[in-house]
Amino acid sequence: MNRRALLGLGLLSLLSGCATGPGAGTVLRIAQPADPRTLDPHKISDMPSMNALINVFDTLTTRGPDNRLAPGLALSWEAPDPYTWRFRLRPGVRFHNGEACDAVAVAFSVNRLLNPATKSPIVELRNVSAAVPLDELTVELRTSKPDPIIPAKVSLFGGVVVPPGYLAVAGDAGFARHPVGTGPFTFVDFQRDRRLRLRANPGYWAGPAGYRDLEFMPMPNTSSALAALQSDEVDMVTELSPDSALQITGYRGVSIRNYPAVPTSYVSLDTTDGPLSDVRVRRALNHAVDVPLLIKAVMDGKARELATLIPRESFGHDPAITPYTRDLDLAKRLLTEAGYPNGFDTTLTARTDSALLAEAISGLLARAGVRAAVRLLDIGTYTARLTSDNRRALGPMYLAKSTGWTLDGQSLVQSNVRHDRRQSRWNSPEADRLIDAEELGIAPEDRQRAFTELQRLLKDQAPFVFLFQSDSIYAMGDRAHWQPNAAGVLRMHSATVTA
Amino acid sequence: MIPTIIRRILSAIVVLFCVATVAFVLVRLSGDPVKLMLPPDATAQQETTLRASLGLDRPLWTQYLDYLAGLPRLRFGDSLVYGQPVAEVLLARVPATAELAAAALALTLLIAVPAGTFAALHRGRAGDSGVMGAVLIGQSTPVFWIGILLILVFAVRLQWLPASGYGGLDHLVLPAVTLALYSVAVVARLLRSSLIDVLGSDYIRTATAKGLRTRTVVGVHALRNAALPVVTVVGLEIGSLLGGAILTEQVFSWPGIGRLTVEAIQNRDFPLVQGTVLFFAAIFVLVNLLVDLSYTVLDPRVRLT
Repeated sequence: MNRRALLGLGLLSLLSGCATGPGAGTVLRIAQPADPRTLDPHKISDMPSMNALINVFDTLTTRGPDNRLAPGLALSWEAPDPYTWRFRLRPGVRFHNGEACDAVAVAFSVNRLLNPATKSPIVELRNVSAAVPLDELTVELRTSKPDPIIPAKVSLFGGVVVPPGYLAVAGDAGFARHPVGTGPFTFVDFQRDRRLRLRANPGYWAGPAGYRDLEFMPMPNTSSALAALQSDEVDMVTELSPDSALQITGYRGVSIRNYPAVPTSYVSLDTTDGPLSDVRVRRALNHAVDVPLLIKAVMDGKARELATLIPRESFGHDPAITPYTRDLDLAKRLLTEAGYPNGFDTTLTARTDSALLAEAISGLLARAGVRAAVRLLDIGTYTARLTSDNRRALGPMYLAKSTGWTLDGQSLVQSNVRHDRRQSRWNSPEADRLIDAEELGIAPEDRQRAFTELQRLLKDQAPFVFLFQSDSIYAMGDRAHWQPNAAGVLRMHSATVTA
Repeated sequence: MIPTIIRRILSAIVVLFCVATVAFVLVRLSGDPVKLMLPPDATAQQETTLRASLGLDRPLWTQYLDYLAGLPRLRFGDSLVYGQPVAEVLLARVPATAELAAAALALTLLIAVPAGTFAALHRGRAGDSGVMGAVLIGQSTPVFWIGILLILVFAVRLQWLPASGYGGLDHLVLPAVTLALYSVAVVARLLRSSLIDVLGSDYIRTATAKGLRTRTVVGVHALRNAALPVVTVVGLEIGSLLGGAILTEQVFSWPGIGRLTVEAIQNRDFPLVQGTVLFFAAIFVLVNLLVDLSYTVLDPRVRLT
């Protein structure tokens, strides 16, 4: 036995020589919870996929560090009429294979996305009927109804431009195996579940990245990803929750950074009948849920309180509208007025990954006498019920979280406010009118006015319990330096790596 | 023996057909993949369009017949999520899983056979309880805990081995140890009791009476006879090493079939779930067949009839 144990130890130390692997130098290695699903940017609609592919491809517009819409492949854009968006393209841009990125390529890309044969899961361009090149550097997106935020929508998924010539030769499958874009990094290789390797594009139109290699590694288990960071196998771990960030706080060589971001949490209330149909009850719930306390206790301070649904960095947010005062006595008084002096029983449904938050909210509601039993569902079941035609499938109250990466208020309210939208559980002709005004009006001033009124109405009528917008949290090693914008997209061109 | 093998193969095909049917039905009971592919703000119209272009709006029996027709040629359709043929996605993961399972199996036998033999020979004494207690700890400790513990000690603290990922032999050590620790107890305990039985039998007494050394008695006569039940269990363990590696693969970011299966189920990726379920079923059927055949080699008294 002893000899064998010694042999084992010897074997371990023998192997240890090659444990660190190729790490040093100018490579940036990023751990994400998942791989890109496919490398064809028109066939993905999830953030981990986009986070990797946004480094290979460019979009028509982009978001700068100040969160403002900035030129990408398009230098400027305008709406000559409410049904048309015209984009003027950046001259001289070429794909990694040398193909020109012109109006034909842009029109081809948008039309490819819209073609049902592409089976694209990207849904933002639902109002676009066709893309038409006008001249070499001008392209028009025609819409079936006015769509004021097309320029914001083409800052990610729907705005990706792919090479028509290369696709004609390689085919869809070949393109997904070896993607070619115009972006700051070129594709090197991809081993699913192991790593995606990219290399800096020396001819990038905005100048090459300051380091050579960029790698994305899928690490589904946060603890293992953080261990990999500590043993210098990755430089950065993304998408941390506040409690997993706490695990690693204080370790040498590793820093936890949180940045303002837009993922917005709220509780949807079924206002059709029962206690929740009474506005006094809904207001009472908003007074009872002490959001600053939730942020401190559950989110470790890494979130910001929100008055309604629209986060600060999004167009339409009105800072003049303030959150509910947190007042337990007032909550109890309102409940008594509504005829529930002893509270009532209800359920609060949540995804398993937000169990802590749901339990905390349930605890705060209990102080006001509202006994909300927490019901947890796995992500698949939760999503299926959320998008089912039965609007009550998730019960009277459910905890929801949306990321409006367009940074326009519309993304937060488009599917849960207007009475005919599938996640709406509130019927207010006034709200419907305001939604129509912001969705169909092109002029920014008119839209802002509609958003301001809508937020006032939302606060007053409380069809939701409003919570907070949570920060993006990253763990980084000593060598990596980078700062995200509010949409939290991993555009790594601006990162720097010290040797 | 040859007709028996043919009969066994035919019955294996029937089993696989049943598994294929059950997988087809069950995965469809689990929900709608289109709901998970599209963001929650998709419209009903957009869902209908995508469902139609994926062919999921066709009548169930058409989908079933198409699926059955593809099976003999190993065509399972395209994965809904990855957009690649299922066989391609699946085969890309086989090496990693096979490597991990083989390493874990080798480690299991390397630890379990000496441990079980030692315990049987020292039956009822301190050595027996010590060894059996030690292997039980391995079995009763959750994989995700022992895995993380090994990572913290050997990767973070000592920096001897990589924390996770797939690559050279060094990447294999921690996941293989984690996975093997579970099977060691099963095999060692079975070998111990089987060996205790055999050691009490007449032919062992005869062998000892002949004046053979203990090493020969145990190594040649006892172990070989005690191996029969152990081989059965090891065969079954191969199945669970392949399939049960799910947690180990998660913890160590190991690119194997277990992780693929979990993701496929979470995404309701119908063709991929069907493919992986059939793959596991085929492995189990094959291993069982091999275990039966190995009996005839290990014990000439056993004849397949």
